[in-house]
Amino acid sequence: MDDPKVSHPRLFIANRGEIALRIIRAAHSLGIETVLGVSMADKDSVAAREAERSVVLGPAASRDSYLNLNLVVHAAISTGCTHIHPGYGFLSERPDFAELCAAEGLVFVGPRPQTVRAVGDKISAKAVADAAKVPLTPGSGKLNSLKHALEVADEIGYPVITKASAGGGGRGMLVAYDADALRRVYDEASTTAREAFGDDTLFLEVYVERARHLEVQLFGDGQGRAVHFGERDCSIQRRYQKMIEEAPADILGDDLRSELRAAAVNLLASIDYLNAGTVEFLYDEGRQKFYFMEVNARIQVEHPVSEQISSHDLIKLQLGLATGTIMLPEQEAISLKGHAIEARILAEDTNRNFIPSPGKITRWVPATGPGVRVDSAVQEGSTVPPYYDSMIAKLIVSGDDRTHAVDRMSEALKRFEVEGIATNIPLLRAIVDHPDFRENSISTKWLENTLLPGFQAERAN
Amino acid sequence: MTEQDRNPKLVSNDIQAIIDDFNASRWRTLELEYHGVKLFLSKDIGAAPNWSTSESTSPAVTKGGAPPSQSLAAPADIPAARGALEDGQVIVSAPSLGTFYRSPKPGAPPFIQIGDDVEAETELCLIEVMKLFTTLRAGVKGKVTEILIEDGVMVENDQPLFVIDTNG
Repeated sequence: MDDPKVSHPRLFIANRGEIALRIIRAAHSLGIETVLGVSMADKDSVAAREAERSVVLGPAASRDSYLNLNLVVHAAISTGCTHIHPGYGFLSERPDFAELCAAEGLVFVGPRPQTVRAVGDKISAKAVADAAKVPLTPGSGKLNSLKHALEVADEIGYPVITKASAGGGGRGMLVAYDADALRRVYDEASTTAREAFGDDTLFLEVYVERARHLEVQLFGDGQGRAVHFGERDCSIQRRYQKMIEEAPADILGDDLRSELRAAAVNLLASIDYLNAGTVEFLYDEGRQKFYFMEVNARIQVEHPVSEQISSHDLIKLQLGLATGTIMLPEQEAISLKGHAIEARILAEDTNRNFIPSPGKITRWVPATGPGVRVDSAVQEGSTVPPYYDSMIAKLIVSGDDRTHAVDRMSEALKRFEVEGIATNIPLLRAIVDHPDFRENSISTKWLENTLLPGFQAERAN
Repeated sequence: MTEQDRNPKLVSNDIQAIIDDFNASRWRTLELEYHGVKLFLSKDIGAAPNWSTSESTSPAVTKGGAPPSQSLAAPADIPAARGALEDGQVIVSAPSLGTFYRSPKPGAPPFIQIGDDVEAETELCLIEVMKLFTTLRAGVKGKVTEILIEDGVMVENDQPLFVIDTNG
């Protein structure tokens, strides 16, 4: 039987912006037809022009267009699509969306619905990680005495932080760097907890002074085999939003790097993971230990840095796996080389507390040159609509090593010109040219606590 | 304060919320009428709303839509940018993407024909999204002069469906 899913795959793209365009181009390179669902605001977008067909789902607001799973699936079926790619954000991590696609006979380009559900819930994701022997943040259960606390602290190592069992908000949270300090703060913490929550029960966790956000890019074949494409360091963040990502994570030594990658591979292999996924870790620089945070069951914004160091097109691999035309490569066939950095170009005004800056782009000169890649769906004359995420482009550079890549990023940012709307390019330049960043001496709080106060004060004057 | 302010219309968000609640409930069917919007939800394939007609057949549900071998070209006659409307002519457009049905069920006569006089409350067609049927009403008083879309075809958001002449 001629199965159209194999012989004539047609892909519906349930996303917008740069990732929609990226998926359309990857599909075309594999001979797959594309249909893009757009909102009224994106009718004339670059992605809408490049897709074989685009259909208007609904009004501009995401909830009436990109987030309406019934509209998206109806559009995909009505246009004869066989596959659906959710991109990132929007419906990409909605188990009900993956389930609806499966029920309607559409191949979801991503993990199975039950996987999306299992790893999407924080508690069940932790159980999955724990079962695969991936380390979780060490801590205690409820403590019943100071003596108990001292025993736990000896076991997990200092520094530790006390937390109130009955509530949060920072109350009852005190840091102790040694046993003497823990003796001093224990009573204070339990008193605070009793006053705030009427319950003086405490528990104890490791205190991570310098945290890094590390994550491993993976693919699974759905039958218990998973491979990695190296790890990324995404520690430059503002309000938990990543702004700069790089691969590999130079902070890790060889042994720790192998351990991190193996832990992530084991986790996804243990659940027969299918297609692209990422396992995120918190890395404690003081203890040199990593702890499981979460699994992202989709392609991520920052996937290009892993592509640059692995020379694999991860979107093509996603589509190839979903259409049965590309086999998952063996781990030995994935060789990692060089260093890559991505900077997210956002339509936000860094002089005005990052307020979004939608509008018409009157001048657009993206950086070019050796080792420079720009993933974007805007051009001169494009209008950035006010309804969606503010990211308008990703600037990705590659070099022989981190220093080389940082130099190239610095140069590329100098040459990147955007007019008509405000962007975060001035801030990206300040980050990349800062000695701490060049020396890779940063943490997840570095941007907010070290760089931004001075950057903003300077600009306020 | 206008009538509309006091009785806000159902927007697609509300309908989505109703569907979610319905899905989570143990109910098999739900019928709702609220300020000109009729909603019929059912967990049974082939179920039909009571208001459709007295017969027992259901509204057309074309599962699967067009086969993948069909051409991908968009319908050539989407008059999305219809200019030349005469004074008093009004276009009624699709409120979202969906499948356009001129009749309440297969084989039944269409809601309206060219030349019919309509009131604001007159039902013009059904727009179906994943088996959820929304009734589209004329919104104005006048005479139907054009029907721009064929029965059973997918229409896009804001796509013109009917021209109504409000003169006279």
